[in-house]
Amino acid sequence: MSMSGRKAVVVPCSGIGKTYGTVAREAAYILTEDLRPAETGLVALSLLVMGDAAARDEVAACPAITLDGCKLACATKMVRESGGTVAKELDMLDAFRRNRAFKPQGIAELNEAGRMLAQAVAEEASAVVDSLPPATPGQGERRHA
Amino acid sequence: MRKERIMPEFLEAMVGKFTFTVALDRQYNAEGVWALAEGNWVRIGLSDFLQQRSGDVAFAEVRPEGTEVKAGEEVAVIETIKVNIGLTSPLSGTVVEVNPAVTSAPEAINQDPYGAGWLARLEAAHWEADRAQLLTAAAYFDKMKGEAEEESSKV
Repeated sequence: MSMSGRKAVVVPCSGIGKTYGTVAREAAYILTEDLRPAETGLVALSLLVMGDAAARDEVAACPAITLDGCKLACATKMVRESGGTVAKELDMLDAFRRNRAFKPQGIAELNEAGRMLAQAVAEEASAVVDSLPPATPGQGERRHA
Repeated sequence: MRKERIMPEFLEAMVGKFTFTVALDRQYNAEGVWALAEGNWVRIGLSDFLQQRSGDVAFAEVRPEGTEVKAGEEVAVIETIKVNIGLTSPLSGTVVEVNPAVTSAPEAINQDPYGAGWLARLEAAHWEADRAQLLTAAAYFDKMKGEAEEESSKV
C-alpha cells in the first residue's frame, strides 16, 4: 500500500480489557478507516513496545497522534521513546470530560455512548490531521527493509 | 508571596502492587473521607485508598457554599471512570468553601488527595461531638488495610 500523502500516524492505547482503552482504539479505527484514510496510518503500540523496526520507522517518518486510555500515557511515551514526534496527544478521560453525555461502558463492545465518544475523539483528531502541513514527497514511507 | 506547605506524616501500606498512604494529622469516617480541623473550620477530602479504589475522577460536584449538612449526609459526588460515588460528610456543619480546583481540574483528587485535592471546608456545628465518632488515622489505617487486602485477594 502506498503511503504517499500520509500526514500522520495514529497510535492508540493497547490496554485490553479497559473501557477507555477500547474507546481509544475505536477512535483510531474511525479516524484511519473512515475519516482520514488517505492521510493517516495506524501503528500498533505493541509493536513499538517490542521495538519492531518497521513500526519505529513509521513513527519516525510522520508526526503522531496518540490516543491514551489512562494517565500512564503509554502511547505518547512509546512514540517519543521510539524517536517519533507527537503532534497531538489525546487522553480519553479528558475527552470524556469534554463530552460528559458520552459515558463509555463495556470492554469488548462499547455501549452507544462509548461509540459516540470514540466518534467525537476521531473527529477531534481529524481536525488535527487537517491542521498538519501537507505531506512532503517520501513522508511516511518505510525506510526499513 | 512565599507559600509554605507543611507536609503531613503518613502511614503507608503496600498491598499487592499498590501503595496506600494515610495522613496522620486528620481523622476519617468509615468510607474514607478525611476531616482536618483548622480553627473553626474543618477541611474534608478523600483518603488515598478511597481515591485509588474509585479510579480516575472525571467530575466532582461538591454541595455549594452555604449548604448545611449533617454528619453522614452526602456532601459531594464524584464520577470516576469506574463508578459514581456519593461521599458522606464526616461532620455536621455549613459548607463555607468549595475547592475550585476539584471542579476545574478534578484529577487533583487523584494526584494529591491530602493536599491540593481537598473537597471543601465546613464551619463545624459541633466538631467535638463529631470528631469523637471518627476514626483516628491509625484505626482507619487498619480498616483500610483490611479492605485493600480483601480486594487484593479477589483478583
